[in-house]
Amino acid sequence: MIRALILGYGFLGKALAKRLLNRPVEELKIVGLANSKGYLYKRDGLQLEKIKEPLEDNEGFEKGRATELLTKEYIDLLIELTPTNISTGEPGITHIRTALKEEIDVVTANKGPVLLALKELKRIADEKNVIFKYEGTVGGGIPIFSLVNKCLQGDDIISIRGILNGTTNYILTRMHFEGLTFELALREAIMLGIAERNPTLDVEGIDTAVKILILANSIMNLNKNLSDVKIVGVTKVTPEAISAAKDNGMTIKLIGSIEDGELSVEPRLIRLNHPLCVHGTLNAINIKSNVLKTLTLIGEGAGESTVASLLNDIYDVIKERHSKIKF
Amino acid sequence: MKVRLTLGLVDRPGTLLNVLEQIAIHGGNIISIIHNRDRITAGYVPVSINVEFPSSEQLEKAKSSIESIGVPVMESETLEKKVETFLLIGAIDIDLITSTLQNEGARLIGLSLIGSSKTPCLKLIIDTPLEKRHRLLKSLQSVISSSDCLLIREEEN
Ligand SMILES: NC(=O)c1ccc[n+]([C@@H]2O[C@H](COP(=O)([O-])OP(=O)(O)OC[C@H]3O[C@@H](n4cnc5c(N)ncnc54)[C@H](OP(=O)(O)O)[C@@H]3O)[C@@H](O)[C@H]2O)c1
Repeated sequence: MIRALILGYGFLGKALAKRLLNRPVEELKIVGLANSKGYLYKRDGLQLEKIKEPLEDNEGFEKGRATELLTKEYIDLLIELTPTNISTGEPGITHIRTALKEEIDVVTANKGPVLLALKELKRIADEKNVIFKYEGTVGGGIPIFSLVNKCLQGDDIISIRGILNGTTNYILTRMHFEGLTFELALREAIMLGIAERNPTLDVEGIDTAVKILILANSIMNLNKNLSDVKIVGVTKVTPEAISAAKDNGMTIKLIGSIEDGELSVEPRLIRLNHPLCVHGTLNAINIKSNVLKTLTLIGEGAGESTVASLLNDIYDVIKERHSKIKF
Repeated sequence: MKVRLTLGLVDRPGTLLNVLEQIAIHGGNIISIIHNRDRITAGYVPVSINVEFPSSEQLEKAKSSIESIGVPVMESETLEKKVETFLLIGAIDIDLITSTLQNEGARLIGLSLIGSSKTPCLKLIIDTPLEKRHRLLKSLQSVISSSDCLLIREEEN
């Protein structure tokens, strides 16, 4: 049995817990749930159906840092779902580093640690012979890392490009189909909860750049950082420009790309029948490789579908642990 | 790569055969030959040969070999071009753009101004020899970098 701690009980943490409640994973027991105020812990497993919201209202809620659990209690798997911080990577980096050093496997959707400390965290994981997985960090539920690692072994990836931010894609879609201005489409996205109240990271292209970096460093083994990415956001895209594109059977999309070792994020003209041209909040990722040539994946890049990535990583951990007969 | 070589052949039997040999030695594959007999100048017949070479190095070697047998290569023009659309959002000096295109060997085949003077948008359809595309893009980007414009290029297939 794998004893897991969900660290970060916000949107994703709750969505994962709900899924596990409805469809339990046989080999998995959730022993801890933690948020910024403290944690709930039960050595022989929490009864998810009895968890009240907020977490603090549950009997046995301990105020304090969940990292204590990682060092003091017996935990096999950390599911790290605290907010992404792209400047410091914290608190994620500390959580993940602590867990790996304690020989605890880690699954995360938190982009900060993967963006800023991938090398270090992978090294610790290797040294301690533990597993570190982060499928949910890019493209939500789209299984990009698993696909490349498991299905394209022996092929060489030449380029990766895609639409990796659902918020900007929603805005550009509304501009294309309804002729809205950028400002109006953004306001609509905020009202619908698609965009955050502070949408800067999305509309300035930084979120896409972060994902492109994670793909570049992880899949293509590059060693790049944010200053290596040419980043142009979508704030200057006008309805006139979109209508000019439309007249030629095209539209404008925010494309992140790794081509010839160059990383960029910028609005590009794209044919409406191009495989990457998806609408609404959908994401699309196209990879070019030597043998397979070209492959495009399309799916919801955020929201509850991200749970699919978390679950797949969790299953990988369970299977790998089984094969090593560690417990 | 496919190119059109325009050569000044002296109107003497055997010259063309000599040229074709030089092309073949360097791996060139002849697609077509056109004699421009109506353009004979100073004893030369301009001949246009469309050839496919495995690489640009082989093309360059073939050109030197042809010149070394006394046949001038009057023009060497790529047949691989890309027609693509660009959008330029913001106020920009059109002359600056057209002169950049000219300097980089690109041909403007369509130009339209959309939008109001407050939110201008320029649509350019440009025909560029493939090998010059990368440079053209860099030049356009550097021209607009000092302005507040946004250049949007077309995503490849
Ligand atoms: N939401 C998505 O669709 C999506 C998709 C892909 C990836 N991600 C990534 O997944 C992660 C989680 O996303 P989310 O949407 O679930 O975020 P969220 O709703 O903001 O939840 C974050 C959770 O982390 C907790 N937290 C914050 N600081 C903490 C600390 N120092 N120690 C312990 N817990 C702490 C918060 O506690 P409180 O409840 O006390 O505030 C909250 O429970 C983020 O890194 C995000 O970028 C999200």
